[in-house]
Amino acid sequence: MQATPRVIWTIIISCGLVVTLTFGCGHRIEIKSTADSSPQPITRDIARAEQVPLVIDSVDTTRNGSPQTSSLETERRVLSTLRAVGLFSRLGDTNSPEPPASEKFIRARLVFDEAVDSHPGDVTWKSIAIGASMFTLAPFIPLEYDYSAHMTLELERWDGRVKRYESQSAGTAHYKMFGATPLMIDELKGHVTESCLTSLMEQVVQDTAFYTASSAPIFDRPIRSVSVKSKRSTVTPVPVATSSGK
Amino acid sequence: MPYLARILAALVLGSLMMANNVSAANDSPTITVGTQEIGLSAGYLFPHRLVEGKSKTEQRGPAFMPSWMITLTDPIGDSWYRGQISLGGEMVYIQFQEPVLSHGIGFTPKIKYSFVALDRIRPYVEFAGGPFWTDLAGNIPEQQSQFNFILTAGLGISYFMNDGFALNAGYRFQHISNAHTSSPNVGLNESLPFAGFSFYF
Repeated sequence: MQATPRVIWTIIISCGLVVTLTFGCGHRIEIKSTADSSPQPITRDIARAEQVPLVIDSVDTTRNGSPQTSSLETERRVLSTLRAVGLFSRLGDTNSPEPPASEKFIRARLVFDEAVDSHPGDVTWKSIAIGASMFTLAPFIPLEYDYSAHMTLELERWDGRVKRYESQSAGTAHYKMFGATPLMIDELKGHVTESCLTSLMEQVVQDTAFYTASSAPIFDRPIRSVSVKSKRSTVTPVPVATSSGK
Repeated sequence: MPYLARILAALVLGSLMMANNVSAANDSPTITVGTQEIGLSAGYLFPHRLVEGKSKTEQRGPAFMPSWMITLTDPIGDSWYRGQISLGGEMVYIQFQEPVLSHGIGFTPKIKYSFVALDRIRPYVEFAGGPFWTDLAGNIPEQQSQFNFILTAGLGISYFMNDGFALNAGYRFQHISNAHTSSPNVGLNESLPFAGFSFYF
């Protein structure tokens, strides 16, 4: 009979641990849909002989309005998305030499504006509440992290004509204190950036005729052709749930 | 005091041996939301008799504080006060060597604000509070109950040797009392200079 209180406390502590590990370590990512994205991939055809190379001229990044050093990762991701689209014959990064002026090529400039809001005021008060409760409220107090991106892509044709494309996407990570991980933030940023790039590429693909090497109509099918298409858009919220944040 | 010197020397040497890459990187450490910190600090506490006539005990002894924290915000602000908020918990063990050899152990949730404007040198302020058990109570006139609370306010400096390892040093003011759960409740106040190290992952 003397062990009864000990057993009760063991059960209470075990239940607390289960609740904390079940509800306190999860996170969910919600991506807000972009207005100009299409649910179906857009497809255009372009002759291989009509494809021209593209060289990235500059990638400018700002975060919450402050200029940042552009990461190679962003540039690689843009190039990878452009490669998947298949509109251009060759892709060059900012370190690649520009083709001679006599050659037809596209010069790309990307401006990447990020906005990050980790809700510091909210987090402060909630942290005090979680701490004051000896972490018992940690599984029940939601925390949020907002991330939005605005991309502007300028593509300059060899004759100097410029087309400008813009896209915007935003997302929120809903998490509990024990579910906060750098990986969760990377996931959120990855989804938002992907959504932005998808929207940009849809716009670029719609202008396929503008980037062909000659002024031939888009439906003039030569002997060889490749399919040019944008990736499927993710217009619905993307729930990413994990049972454990680690 | 030689005891404290030995502890601090062991901490500093141990932490230097555990650091994978002591040669400091030039870029500032990247602490993002979700970055966790595990640390160990040690110090020696000295008494403060704030209530003249009632506070008589001159408690002294070494203290050890293993801690865990998680960063919950990106850097806030764009001036000297630019910093990040972390939340976590800390175990506190105090060996009271005076007036009688006794022990105290507690668990305190802790909130910390780290100033990040100076890159690898990061001052911080911290607040903690929680339950504290000690058998010093009963041996001193100020406290009779073994169940107490400990409140801590402190400031310190972290020096990042690399992205995942920092040396810390600072000062804390601590208050131990029973929150009027029993009588008497004069409370003990003490200063605690400390040093330690933290790993970030």
